[in-house]
Amino acid sequence: MDGKKGPLDLVREVMASGMCTGCGICVGLCPYIKTAGERVAFVHQCGLEEGNCYRSCPRTPTDWAELDRAVFDREREDCLLGNYREILFARAGAGDVAGKGQYGGVVTALAAFLLEEGEVAGAVLTGGPAGEMPRPVLARCRDEVLACAGSHYSASPSLAALNRAARQGVERLAVVGRPCQVLAVRKMQGLRNPTPNNLSAQKVKFLVGLFCFWSLDTGIYSFMRARAGDRRIVRADITPEAMALDTGSGVVNFPVEEVRPFVRPACRLCFDPTSEFADVAVGSTEYDPDWNTLIVRSAKGREIVDAAREGGIIETRPYPPERLPLLRKAVRNKKLRVLAAMENGEAGSYLELSDGYAHVLKQEGGSGR
Amino acid sequence: MSFISLLVDEPGRNVLMTGNEAVARGAVEAGIGYASSYPGSPSVEILANLGRLAQKFNHYAEWSVNEKVALEGAAAASFAGLRAICVMKPNGLNVALDSLASIAISGIKAGLVLVVGDDPAGYSSTNEEDSRPLEKAAHIPVLEPGTPQEAKEMTLFAFELSEQIKLPVALRCVTRICHASANVIVGPVEGGCREPFIGTDERFITNVALHRVQEAKLARVRHMADTMPFNRYTGPEDAKTVVITAGVGFMYAREALAELGLAAEVGILKLGLTWPLPEGMLLKYLKTAEKVIFIEEIEPFIEENVMHLAAQHLMEVYPLRFYGQKSGHVAGQYGPGIGEMDPETVTRALAAVCGKSYTPPVAGEFLKDAMPDIPSRERAFCAGCPHRASFWAVKSALALDGRSPVVLGDIGCYTLGLTRTGFNLLQTVHAMGSGVGMACGLGRLADYGFHQPVIALVGDSTFYHSALPALLNARYNKSSFLLIVLDNETTAMTGHQPHPGIGKNAMGEEGLKITIESVATGLGLPVTVHDPYDVEGATEAVFRSLQAEGPRVLVLRRACALVAAHQGKRPRVYVDQDLCIADNCGCNRFCNHVFACVANIWDAAKNKAVIDEVLCNRCGVCAGLCPVGAIKVEGGGRVD
Repeated sequence: MDGKKGPLDLVREVMASGMCTGCGICVGLCPYIKTAGERVAFVHQCGLEEGNCYRSCPRTPTDWAELDRAVFDREREDCLLGNYREILFARAGAGDVAGKGQYGGVVTALAAFLLEEGEVAGAVLTGGPAGEMPRPVLARCRDEVLACAGSHYSASPSLAALNRAARQGVERLAVVGRPCQVLAVRKMQGLRNPTPNNLSAQKVKFLVGLFCFWSLDTGIYSFMRARAGDRRIVRADITPEAMALDTGSGVVNFPVEEVRPFVRPACRLCFDPTSEFADVAVGSTEYDPDWNTLIVRSAKGREIVDAAREGGIIETRPYPPERLPLLRKAVRNKKLRVLAAMENGEAGSYLELSDGYAHVLKQEGGSGR
Repeated sequence: MSFISLLVDEPGRNVLMTGNEAVARGAVEAGIGYASSYPGSPSVEILANLGRLAQKFNHYAEWSVNEKVALEGAAAASFAGLRAICVMKPNGLNVALDSLASIAISGIKAGLVLVVGDDPAGYSSTNEEDSRPLEKAAHIPVLEPGTPQEAKEMTLFAFELSEQIKLPVALRCVTRICHASANVIVGPVEGGCREPFIGTDERFITNVALHRVQEAKLARVRHMADTMPFNRYTGPEDAKTVVITAGVGFMYAREALAELGLAAEVGILKLGLTWPLPEGMLLKYLKTAEKVIFIEEIEPFIEENVMHLAAQHLMEVYPLRFYGQKSGHVAGQYGPGIGEMDPETVTRALAAVCGKSYTPPVAGEFLKDAMPDIPSRERAFCAGCPHRASFWAVKSALALDGRSPVVLGDIGCYTLGLTRTGFNLLQTVHAMGSGVGMACGLGRLADYGFHQPVIALVGDSTFYHSALPALLNARYNKSSFLLIVLDNETTAMTGHQPHPGIGKNAMGEEGLKITIESVATGLGLPVTVHDPYDVEGATEAVFRSLQAEGPRVLVLRRACALVAAHQGKRPRVYVDQDLCIADNCGCNRFCNHVFACVANIWDAAKNKAVIDEVLCNRCGVCAGLCPVGAIKVEGGGRVD
């Protein structure tokens, strides 16, 4: 990072320009940045020229190759899916998790496993009833993890809970987050500056990244309520084609096009839909709702997945070879859209890619590594 | 100078009293049956004392919800035959003026005295307003005491005059009379009427036909004024230079003439009754004088009225020159009519008019020697003040909302919210309750392109005083805004007087608590209550309330820190300097620089935060805001 950059730059380059992903990494780093209703704002300018808020933000300049080296100790070979060791189908083993998760329940199962094994003392999650704005949660036990099972589709700044947990003295933490949140945690973990205050991410021992192609503005909740009528929403799901609201007394379906106006502008410029810097990344299969896609990325990820599998916490099966091109194509399209936006000057300048990355991406046929 | 002096039961004894105590004593000696007021500086202690004296002297005393109601209650007591006193500041007179103007038309029965404490320089007011032009407009006589002794005597006299002419009589006090202490000779306490009754034939009606009666009453007072003992002249009978003054100006003028060696040649005409004027007496001196100098505080009230009189008798008084605010000769630092009079200003003016040289003492040099290194201080909320926490929560919620909400202020301690201590949040400040009325207006403009959310901020006492009509208007006319009531469970700014939400009255009786919630609910408004000391929760509450529509009320309730500091065992709050990250990233002296509670000070030697434990009221709010938990709360049990 060159030159002094701080809170004023964060406001100008990220918050005021609509680039904020709402990850929450800056919320509560200091008394000046707060959140409410999934908005993140500077309440008051601290007056410092440079700050960890700017350095940790996933939408300030980020050197992709350097982050690969820092997290995985090697360059990436796959310009679409990033560094990984294995791609699997996975689901929670038989037990209380099964059936609770959005799809295979792998995220819930892994988070509970990490806590129960004592790998971590707390897990930063997103919780709350379906159909309502979620809230950041610090889960300290299995039951608290289970209470958070299920997906949310708006951008909860849940890393605020990470900062809070660190301030409360919780030393070992797991984070389940969107790709922007994973990126933020990794950026903060890499900071080596003279005043290492409140660097909560350095207490994160395991990162579960989610697949995320976009998240929605909180306006979606009144839209969903209007669609569901007076009925309570017990589960919400978005597939590539439609949004489905299960009210317990019937499912309300409507085309995904109706949801698109609620996509956060910042998400249109996201280069990383599969949490490339996580220990493991988890998403849907868009194929079989009882299973998840599980990408094992880091050595630590490998270790935990193996242990969980051995303990029957999760079960896995090979990723169907014929499904892979579909995943790669979706990722490629998203990355190409961001590259195009960058070339049009829309995406700001946060992405710092190595020479030739764009070229390889454009050549990539979407069929293999 | 204490409550005990008011209880002295030995006529003729000389006791030390403030002007406010002297007025209260005068009221007791006059045998009042009824006293009412809404708290306002500088005259607030009059009713406070009358409340404490109520049982002993068998009168009724109340803190009314506002000055209009206070005056109406006092007038009613007068109709029933009880002497009544009503106390307010000029802003209160503005509120009560409609009723005063009418009561002056209908006339009264037993003596009705209106005490107005003017605040030249506005030490404890948003404005410096002269009440005399309003009293003149209402057609009532005005008395102006120049010492506490005179304040007591004029109070007694005002009751007599009021009964003689059947008009309310105003007693205009100013800060330096209200708060100054001097010897006062106490008199006997009269029984007064104790059999209130309104005869079936008695009428108190406001009607235009009575205008001529009012004028006749004033003409009668004008005639009486020439021989009234409070209007007196001192100095040579044929003085060529005469000072015309009233109130504190008399003492300043006397001191100045002595200092300039002019006492033997310049006369002083001290007016006790400043409206209507003693015209005969004035003309006598205007005819012999060649120069007249006016010394009075705030508006050139006497000056203009005397100049009108002189114009009317031009041929008799000519030649004559006038010096005062109009000529620019009598002016303080900021110009004529602005700020208080003081001996130096008066001496400078008299020296200039009389051709004397005068070198004012160099105050700056003296102060430098006597008090070196005094830092200049901004006005700020007290240590632990719940308003500071409330304003921080509001500021946070405004930033999070992001739609540039407009914040309308009001009158109370929290008016300081327009300065740095309240993060400069207030965008309007006018009269009590005005912010709510203005919110009504802004909150109705969405259909016409105004889309900023609107917040009105009032205190608890202001809520009862004058927010209610605006709230009713909002509901009726479908306006949309958030009313935040900063409820510190007292009327703090004027010295912790009770109000309807407290469950106690001016006489110390326990009574019904009429909560803000019950009133708002009664108006059909949604209301939530939160503790501002829970800053994060309060921020959330303000933010959530901002997102709602329609008129709605959020009460941020926490007792005034000055009251709480005297209750219960309080914990110690201190900084663990090993943990403090000072001006580094992650803080940058938040407690000291930004939240800036006056007890959050800076240890310059160690470059770390520290708490001034003498100032600290031990609320513990800063401990919750410190980003690294370096501020510790120890012992005493959690504040609550």
